[in-house]
Amino acid sequence: MNSRLKKIIGSLVLLATLVAIPHFLKFHHQDLLIFLTINVLVVASYRIVTLTGEWSLIHAVMMGVGGYTATLLFKNFDLGMWFTLPLAGGVSALIAALLCFPLFRMTQFYFLIGSFAAGEAIRLVWIQYVNPFGGTGGLSGVEPPIIGGIDFLDAIPYYYLALTVVGFCLFILYRIENSRIGLTLHAVHWKAPLAESVGVDTWRYRALAFVIGSFFVGIAGALKVHYLGTITPNQFGIGFMVFILIWVIVGGYNRFYGPIIGVVVLTVFDESIRSFAEIRPAIYGAVLIISILFLPKGLESIPAKFKAWFGIGSNSDAPPLADK
Amino acid sequence: MGITRRDILRATAAGAVVAGTSSLPTGLFAASNKTVKIGMNIPMTGDYAPWGLPGLYGCEIIAKDINGAGGVEIGGEKYNIEMVAYDHAYDTEKAVQGYKKLVLEDDVKMVMMLGGSTVASVLPWAQRKKMLTTTLLPSDITPKSEYLIATCESHPLYNVTGVEWLAKNFPEAKTAAIVTNNDAEYGLQSAATYKAAFEVEGIDVVDVNLHGFDITDFAPIVSSVLAKKPDIFCMATSFYVTPLMEQLYHQGFKGKIISCTLDYYDEIIAKTSKEFVNGTIFQFPDFDDPALNDKGVNFPDPGGFDAKFRKDHPNDWSAVSWEYPAILLNWIEGAKAAGSVEPTDVLKSLKYTINPAFVFGGGKWWGSQLWGRDNSVVGRWPVVVVENGKARIQEYRSVSDWLAKNKDVLIKHMKELGLRTV
Repeated sequence: MNSRLKKIIGSLVLLATLVAIPHFLKFHHQDLLIFLTINVLVVASYRIVTLTGEWSLIHAVMMGVGGYTATLLFKNFDLGMWFTLPLAGGVSALIAALLCFPLFRMTQFYFLIGSFAAGEAIRLVWIQYVNPFGGTGGLSGVEPPIIGGIDFLDAIPYYYLALTVVGFCLFILYRIENSRIGLTLHAVHWKAPLAESVGVDTWRYRALAFVIGSFFVGIAGALKVHYLGTITPNQFGIGFMVFILIWVIVGGYNRFYGPIIGVVVLTVFDESIRSFAEIRPAIYGAVLIISILFLPKGLESIPAKFKAWFGIGSNSDAPPLADK
Repeated sequence: MGITRRDILRATAAGAVVAGTSSLPTGLFAASNKTVKIGMNIPMTGDYAPWGLPGLYGCEIIAKDINGAGGVEIGGEKYNIEMVAYDHAYDTEKAVQGYKKLVLEDDVKMVMMLGGSTVASVLPWAQRKKMLTTTLLPSDITPKSEYLIATCESHPLYNVTGVEWLAKNFPEAKTAAIVTNNDAEYGLQSAATYKAAFEVEGIDVVDVNLHGFDITDFAPIVSSVLAKKPDIFCMATSFYVTPLMEQLYHQGFKGKIISCTLDYYDEIIAKTSKEFVNGTIFQFPDFDDPALNDKGVNFPDPGGFDAKFRKDHPNDWSAVSWEYPAILLNWIEGAKAAGSVEPTDVLKSLKYTINPAFVFGGGKWWGSQLWGRDNSVVGRWPVVVVENGKARIQEYRSVSDWLAKNKDVLIKHMKELGLRTV
C-alpha cells in the first residue's frame, strides 16, 4: 500500500471517528468534547506563534478578545455567528498587530513577560469597565445559531459545527506552516542571522506569526462564547494560559500535530482525575515535570522513539531547520 | 385553626429527632420509598467554595433528617431525598457540564446554584428543559428566565434592613463610606442598594470605593476611605471582609461598621478583638439564635440544625449553610402542594402561593419592577449585630415594605452604577 493511500485511509478513519464519537458519550462529556475541539484550535494557533521561537503569555487573552468581540457584536448589533466569527478573529488580529510595536522590541524572556503584562492590561480593562464589558461578572445572553431548523444549543450539532470550523482553520494553519511563509517562520527561529542576511525581515515575520495566531484564537474565543452564552475575564486568565503552555509542551511543538496530541491526552486525563479536585493542579505539575524529564520533545516524539528502539525507519523528530 | 406549612415542617423535623435516626445513614431507612434527586451545581473548590460547600453540608443534614423520619409524602407516595452535587468551581464551562450531568444524566428535579455568570451560562438549558433552577442572586433573573427563582436570599435587597436599624438606633451617624469589589454580580448590586438605603435615611455617602480582586494589601484602601471621616464604614458584599476589618482595627476606626456578610467572624475576632467586632451590623444570623424561634420563621428546629452542622463541620458555617437547606424546604413544600416532584408542577405550585413560606416569614413574590419577572421572594430579614463576640438578631424588618416605598430610589442607584434594571 503506498503512503498516499495510507494517508487517505487514515484520514477517513479519523473523520469517521470524529463524527461518531459524540454519540457514544454522556451528555456532559459531549460538552467537554466541544471545548476540547475549540482548544485544539487554541493550541494549533499558539503553535504558529511559537514557530518563530517566541513564547507569549497573551494567547489566552487574545482568545478573550475574540470572545468579547463576538459577544458585543451579537448583543449590540444582533450579528449572527457567521459574521461574529471572522470579525472576532479580525479584531484579535488587529489588537495583536497594534501590540506588535511594543512587544516585538523585546525577545525571548523579555517578550514573555511583556506579553503577560499586555494581556493583564487587556483583562483589567474588561474587569474595570463594567460598561460595556460587564466587569468580573462578564456578559451573557449570547446565543448559538439556529440553521435550517437545527438548534445549535444542542451539544451534538454544535460539536459538528465547531468541528467544521476548527477543521477548516486547522487546514489553513497547516497550509500556512507548509508554505513559503511557514518555512520562513522556521528559519526565523532556527537560523535568524542567516535569514536576515538573505533579506528576511525577522521582525515582520515574528509579527505576522503573532497576528495569524491571534486571528485564529479569536475565532476560537467566538466559538466558545456562542456555545457557553457567557463570557467572563477569568476564563482567559493566567490559569488558562498555563494550561495552553502545558498542552503544547507535553504534546510537543516540533510537529503540527504535537500540541493537538497534548490537548487531547491531557483533557481526557484531566477529566479522569476529576475526583481529585483540589490536588488536580499538583497532578498537572507532576505530569509536566515527568514529561520534561522523560519526553523533552513531547508525546509527539513517542512514535519516533519506538521506531528507534525497534530499528524501523528513520528517527527524525526534529523540525525541518533545526540544528542537528 | 388549620395546619400551617410551618407546622408541617416542624413536625417533619421533630419526627426525625424523636425517631433518633438522624445520625444513621440515610439509605438504611424507608428502603421502599421512591427517591427524588435534588441537584446542587455549586462551587465546592476554589475562591467561591465558602458560598457553596457549606450549603451542601446543610442540605445533607436536612435530607438525612427527613429520610430518617420516613421520607416525605408527595402525591400519595413516600420519597427519600437524595442530594447530588457537582463542583463547578465557579467556572462557566464546568457549570454547563455540571448542569447537563445533573439534569440529563442524574435526573434531578431541581438544581440549586449560587448565581452570577455560572447561572447565566445554564439559563438557556433551564428554559429548554423546563428545569426548576434556583439562585441566591435575584439579579440573575431576566424577563425570559421563567424557570429561575430566588426563594431564599434576595441579595442584596435585604441590606436595606441593616441601614434602617442603624439609622433608628444611631441617629448621630450621618455619613457613610462604602467599600466593595467592583463587579456587577455582587459588589455593585450591593453598593447600589446601600446607597439607596442611606439616601432614604438621610445619611450622606462620602465615598464609594470599588476595589478590584486579587488585592492583598487593604491598608491604602482603608486609609483613603477613613480620610473622608465617615461615621459609618460599609462593606457591601466585599469578598475581603476579614482583611478590611483587620485594617479598620489597626487604623483605629471608632465609628459604626455595617457589612452584608460577616462570615467566619470568630476568626475576625481572633485577628482583632472582641471589643472591636462587637457592634458590627450584618445580615446573616447563626441558627442557634433564640430569635429564630419567632413564630414567623419557616425553618424547622433552627437550633438543632445549627448544632448538627457545627458538630459535623465545625469550621464551615457560612452565610449559605442554611440558605440552600431553606430552598430545599421550599421545594418540599411546593412538591407537597403540587402532589408532584416534576419541576413544572412544583414551580407552578410555588408561584401560585401568594405568600410563600419565606425562611424569615412575610414572603411575597417580587422582582418584575427590577428584573422583569416576579421570581424572587422578599420578606422579613433579620438585622444581626455582634454582641459579646456572638452574632445576635436584633429585630426583623420588612424588605418588601421598604421596596414598596423606595423602589424608585433603588432603581435610580442601580442605573447610576450601570446595572441592568428590567
